[in-house]
Amino acid sequence: MSSEIDEYNGGSVLAMLGKNCVAIASDKRFGMKLMTLGTEFPKIFQATDKIYIAMAGLATDIQTLSELIRYKINMYKLREEREIEPTTLAYMVASTLYERRFSPYYVSPLIAGLDKNNKPYICNMDLIGCVTTTNDFVVGGAADDCLLGTCEALYEPDLEPEDLFETISQSLISAVDRNAASGWGAVVHVLTPERVITRTLKTRQD
Amino acid sequence: MTQRLELPKGGFNFENYQRNVALEQQGLKLPTPTKTGTTVVGIIFKDGVVLGADTRSTAGSIVQDKNCDKIRYMAPNVYCCGAGTAADTQFTNSLICSQLELHRLATGRETRVCTALTLVKQMLFKYQGHVSAALILGGYDVTGPRLLAVAPHGSTDKLPYLVMGSGSYAAIAILENRWKKDLERQEAIDLVQEAIEAGIFNDLGSGSDVNITIIEKGKVDNIKGYARPNRREPKCRSYKFARGSTATLNLSAVTVTEGDAMDTS
Amino acid sequence: MSFYPYTDNGGSALAIAGEDYCLLASDTRQSGEDYKIHAGYVPKAFKLTDSCVYAGVGFSADGVALVKRVRQSIEWYRHAHEKTMSTPALAQMIATVLYSKRFFPYYVGTILGGLDENGRGVVYSFDPVGSFEAELHKAVGSGAELIQPFLDNQVNLKFLPEVERTPLPLDVALQIAKDAFTSAAERDTKTGDYLEIFIIDREGVNVERFDLKRD
Repeated sequence: MSSEIDEYNGGSVLAMLGKNCVAIASDKRFGMKLMTLGTEFPKIFQATDKIYIAMAGLATDIQTLSELIRYKINMYKLREEREIEPTTLAYMVASTLYERRFSPYYVSPLIAGLDKNNKPYICNMDLIGCVTTTNDFVVGGAADDCLLGTCEALYEPDLEPEDLFETISQSLISAVDRNAASGWGAVVHVLTPERVITRTLKTRQD
Repeated sequence: MTQRLELPKGGFNFENYQRNVALEQQGLKLPTPTKTGTTVVGIIFKDGVVLGADTRSTAGSIVQDKNCDKIRYMAPNVYCCGAGTAADTQFTNSLICSQLELHRLATGRETRVCTALTLVKQMLFKYQGHVSAALILGGYDVTGPRLLAVAPHGSTDKLPYLVMGSGSYAAIAILENRWKKDLERQEAIDLVQEAIEAGIFNDLGSGSDVNITIIEKGKVDNIKGYARPNRREPKCRSYKFARGSTATLNLSAVTVTEGDAMDTS
Repeated sequence: MSFYPYTDNGGSALAIAGEDYCLLASDTRQSGEDYKIHAGYVPKAFKLTDSCVYAGVGFSADGVALVKRVRQSIEWYRHAHEKTMSTPALAQMIATVLYSKRFFPYYVGTILGGLDENGRGVVYSFDPVGSFEAELHKAVGSGAELIQPFLDNQVNLKFLPEVERTPLPLDVALQIAKDAFTSAAERDTKTGDYLEIFIIDREGVNVERFDLKRD
């Protein structure tokens, strides 16, 4: 499922939904084909206090798109005088991607967040903006098939934040270990209504 | 002196085109967008139209979404089922839906299905099939129940029963066998369910549940998960991990501050 | 329109080696190009001897041709040496057979699950041209990428603290194999229909069949 462009710079991302919480995780590798150039390239960006967006794919497009989205979120806040909701953000990103239907940004974005009533929300998109909203987990990047396999088997609904952290971490580490283009460390953010806990995982450094 | 930021004008943006061509020449293949594999079906019965769809979307041979909604609102009395590239069907639907809303406000009349059809077909023809959306439009307007299909290049069909998608071969076999004029409502629903299930079980691109929408004069019934022949059986064991199993290097926590009192949402 | 001699019939198989057992599971769906399903029950796993089972996933015709050749070689060996081929010997022989078609390969991902001469479970996995290795667990086929990391996590217990590692009992391995397949069938369109699990232990080979999703 992942194409050669996903594997050019490498990287994988994953988000899961739990009981009144969401978790979002990514690896930290940045490479050029088989050569690893950096090991501090997490692919998760904070959109608002309660929404995080992760992107895997071509690194230059990840950076460009994250800046573009940051601009759009700030403009939204200035105009609407309130924070953007996760579903709105999802469709805003989708429109931005679909605008370039015939010359796309090579990214697979994921969005994880809590809405104004603290209801958890996750979704992912393909490179031209087809939004897929689920109640369990979403994946993207070079190891997306491996991630789908581990998540499908390990995921359980209604996990507490501490358990959700364990499940998402184990899914991510097992999957990226089987993918040459992802790895070199991992970051996991767990979002609950009260706080956001960020952990760096101890993984194989290859 | 600050430069005034231009808001984007709408329509497709081809800025990345040259860069993408250069990347492809270097040998990097384009990722596959999500397609809806799909079986979508529409039939006309005595008092209206029944639309049916499966709920699987695929990227290559991997299932991307096990429960996607392919029957979308176009107007209060018109619904649209989409097959083809998922983003194209989603955005074509949204675009035409907004145009129809403006049209209703301008004319003060209920939307006709053929109006939706004309807007869709003219847009798809303009893009010469590159916007890969194969749609079935079904609705009940002043002329009665209406069922129309648009193919990606812009050609259209008006028929009493229609199928689209990779599972269309399996579904049309059921419809050719059993469709007849003036079916009753429940007979029509059963026929659509059978046609979609034929697609689900005989086509790899279609799967999961059967969604049905029934459009009659002044009334629409959206039944998500009308049939669920593919429930996942429970797993044999629980794979919950003991807390503290995963080794971490460091941890930081940020408390989320309460937002401002003003919230006009 | 040129002739291409291979086609991918899809499907997945996995094998897990235990202390005194080996488990080999495969689905039975045969699919074709362009989302077609050819058949729901075309077995990919075959019993070779009382202590060894083979699965060949990929191009169905080559999988069947390979198993035919291997079975013939087992017969010849039995007549020549008056004993059944042991699993490691069988593995070496299959590698040789695969390499003999190095320039027009058998387009299959092969796994061999069985008991070695000491009664310990062993899994051998092969690439299409005969490179092979003994392992604790392996998945092959269209669902391999989905199943393999899950096996790493649950069979190897690779990412859990050292103190939790104990040998995997057969009933737990069976549950893991079933869950691996139900998960793969959810996400891989080419895996589904039925699941056959071969259990090889001291008493011989037993087969159990389960249903998988048909969509």
